[in-house]
Amino acid sequence: MTLPDGRGRVAVVGAGIVGARTVRELIGPGADGQPTNDGVVLVSRREDRLRELSPIYGSRVSTVRADALPALPDDVGVVVVAREQGAQVAVVEDAVRQGRHVVVVGDDPDDVEALLALSGAARDAGVALVVGVAMAPGLSCVLARHSAAQLDSVDEVHVARDGVAGPACARQRLRALRGGAVDWRDGAYVRRPGFSGRELCWFPDPVGARDCFRASLADPYLLVPAFPGVTRVTSRLAASRRDRALAPLPVLLPPPAEGGPGALRVEVRGEVAGGKETIVHGVFDRPGIVASALAAVVATDVVVGLPPGASGLAAVHDTVPLLAELARRGVRAARFHGGS
Amino acid sequence: MRGLRRAVVAVAIGGVIAGIVRLRGTDATPPQQGGWRELEGQDLT
Repeated sequence: MTLPDGRGRVAVVGAGIVGARTVRELIGPGADGQPTNDGVVLVSRREDRLRELSPIYGSRVSTVRADALPALPDDVGVVVVAREQGAQVAVVEDAVRQGRHVVVVGDDPDDVEALLALSGAARDAGVALVVGVAMAPGLSCVLARHSAAQLDSVDEVHVARDGVAGPACARQRLRALRGGAVDWRDGAYVRRPGFSGRELCWFPDPVGARDCFRASLADPYLLVPAFPGVTRVTSRLAASRRDRALAPLPVLLPPPAEGGPGALRVEVRGEVAGGKETIVHGVFDRPGIVASALAAVVATDVVVGLPPGASGLAAVHDTVPLLAELARRGVRAARFHGGS
Repeated sequence: MRGLRRAVVAVAIGGVIAGIVRLRGTDATPPQQGGWRELEGQDLT
């Protein structure tokens, strides 16, 4: 594929909150002030949405209305898939078949498992398939890897997330809280009920303390293969007691166009020089902004450096340039220093 | 009959009180030391 030396174009499939923001990130300049690609092709099923977005983006973005992945021009090296849960796998299969690197934004565990199963097809096609590129999983995997680089060994990874991106993400959050969770414990996946395991997690200010619960999340499926020997991996979602009480009832109100500010917390426990060490990183930002900035940076800077096959972002070994580019785009990770 | 009615009312009142207590919860104690610091400069080079 043509990125990064020849640049080439990037296709974005899906024009929701994250897809539209990813296009905006892609048409902005890189750290050197130069374009990071030769243009963007935005693919959506919604004609009205494309008409709304097209004049905002200008001439560097071409739009295509299509239900499935259309036959893309040869200079499209990377496809970013930002469709809702359940509508991603077929598009990814087409993109891999066309021989293009793929970046998939999403956090549904069933989708993530199905996409990881495409690893063989991606290897055969000689392309990288990056799965779970969002706030969590996604930035959570990057921060876990960043912490792991400061440890001799990793024993435990615990992820907690607060907030949602767009309406599809809000629906997915509710499904996750109602569904069954999966924890990694002592070498095996253990099924737990959703909304169990309440834990008070401290996120970066101004979010602060939130009750977090087990939910049907994809982080363990991406973190466990990346850290051989890890004994515990858990993932939780922040929710209020009101959410918990009302969860079994039908939702009568539609989700908002975009969720409010959210946050992420990644706690990694391991050993350094024979002693126990805990490293906590976090982020405060809108999940839609985090996911779109990460998808854009991965599509232009990271994906071609990954080996062929499917993986999450914990497979990225040098996290510093990625975190620096995210910080330049306004997504600033933080580390917790001091006591508990 | 009157005893049964009293029992139902007592269970209902208990349920309402338990629900209020469960939804309100208690305030948490924030960390007493340390704080968040953004990654910058040397952290990102």
